[in-house]
Amino acid sequence: MNCFQFEELFHDLDRPGTDGFAARDSVLAHAESCSRCALLLTEAESLDLALSALSARENGEQASPRLEKLLREEFRRGHAVSSRRRVRWQIAALSTAAVMLLTLGLLLRHRSGTPTGVQSGSLNPSAARNSGANATNAGSIGADTSTSDVALAENQQADSDSETSFVPLPYADDSMAGEGGAIVRVMHSRPALASLGLRVTDMADTDRVPADIIVSEDGAPQAIRLVSQSSLD
Amino acid sequence: MEMTQNTDLADDRLLRRMLAGDEDAFADLYRRKHPAIYRFALHMSGNPALAEDVTQEVFMALIREPGRFDPARGSLGAFLFGIARNHLRKRWEQERRLVPIAQDSDELDDFIAFAVSGNGHGNAPPSTFDDLDALDTIGRVRRAISTLPENYRGVVVLCELEEMSYEEAAEALSCPVGTVRSRLHRARTMLLDKLREAHPVRRAWARGK
Repeated sequence: MNCFQFEELFHDLDRPGTDGFAARDSVLAHAESCSRCALLLTEAESLDLALSALSARENGEQASPRLEKLLREEFRRGHAVSSRRRVRWQIAALSTAAVMLLTLGLLLRHRSGTPTGVQSGSLNPSAARNSGANATNAGSIGADTSTSDVALAENQQADSDSETSFVPLPYADDSMAGEGGAIVRVMHSRPALASLGLRVTDMADTDRVPADIIVSEDGAPQAIRLVSQSSLD
Repeated sequence: MEMTQNTDLADDRLLRRMLAGDEDAFADLYRRKHPAIYRFALHMSGNPALAEDVTQEVFMALIREPGRFDPARGSLGAFLFGIARNHLRKRWEQERRLVPIAQDSDELDDFIAFAVSGNGHGNAPPSTFDDLDALDTIGRVRRAISTLPENYRGVVVLCELEEMSYEEAAEALSCPVGTVRSRLHRARTMLLDKLREAHPVRRAWARGK
């Protein structure tokens, strides 16, 4: 070992895991043969002692207890703030979740009513056109209204739109004939209809007007109603 | 190394409890970590009041922004030392006068007189520092340390006064182990020079002149 190598290693003689510690014997052997390096080694050892003394003396140094108290207060304050913030976030998150669930529930409820209209629409185009009215009617009738019931109601409604209601004839004597008799469609002249008490002034300007007559079981006409030209078409 | 891992595990447990709002865990963590931080700041600044301020800032940062600590990047101790170094630098920039400069020739003379006490001739066996305490040289050594440049002072404080290994100091200072080693060697040489400086005869002897 030479002096240069000695200077590289002599600071680490007492530090385990270092090259100086591993080469300790060689370093000490060199110091015994070199007065200059021996002095360096002695000074280094003296410095180590001084540093150790300083370290030991100040090892117990620490901040004042007041600082710990202050920091604990700060910790409590900071944690309280963060807890409040966390609670606010949780409330906001729960509110959002509740609103989303409510919206989802309403959407599903709305969709559960829609398939009836869609189904009837596929069976009956006219019903599809009147799906808005169907929804209203279905609401009053009930969600389990069958498709055929809806279609029947629509047909009846369509009939009532194109035809007037039956008017009892003056000489009719069987008010219940409509239940047991038959309906016969006939073509009447305007004067004949007027004589039966029907208003024909606002009808289309034709010589003969279609009408339905309820005929009782004995063949006597009981009531009459006008049929519009559009329903015939 | 095993002890370091155990320390880290204990720190992690305390930190998790602290994050959950456990004040006692924070107090335990503070008591475990603050002495080293305080002494580091004290040795680096030479000012007890500043050391206490820095310690306070370090733990305030841990309370307010615990998320800044990433275990994947190093130990909690290294994280806290990093904050302490940053605060010290800020304070030094604000108040450069806080770094004490031990240029008092009388003190150095005393130290050197003690350090090289002998027969005054170069061939005498050099004295040791056995009676350093009696000569109250501890304060002088501290002052000599405080005159070192910051980078060198840091490694002396951690490796010599806090008795950290090179690896631990490297983690605390966020630099390679080789850098710590070379800085420490250089710092020790500088310290020896400073303590020898006021005694040119002895110095010349030490250099073989």
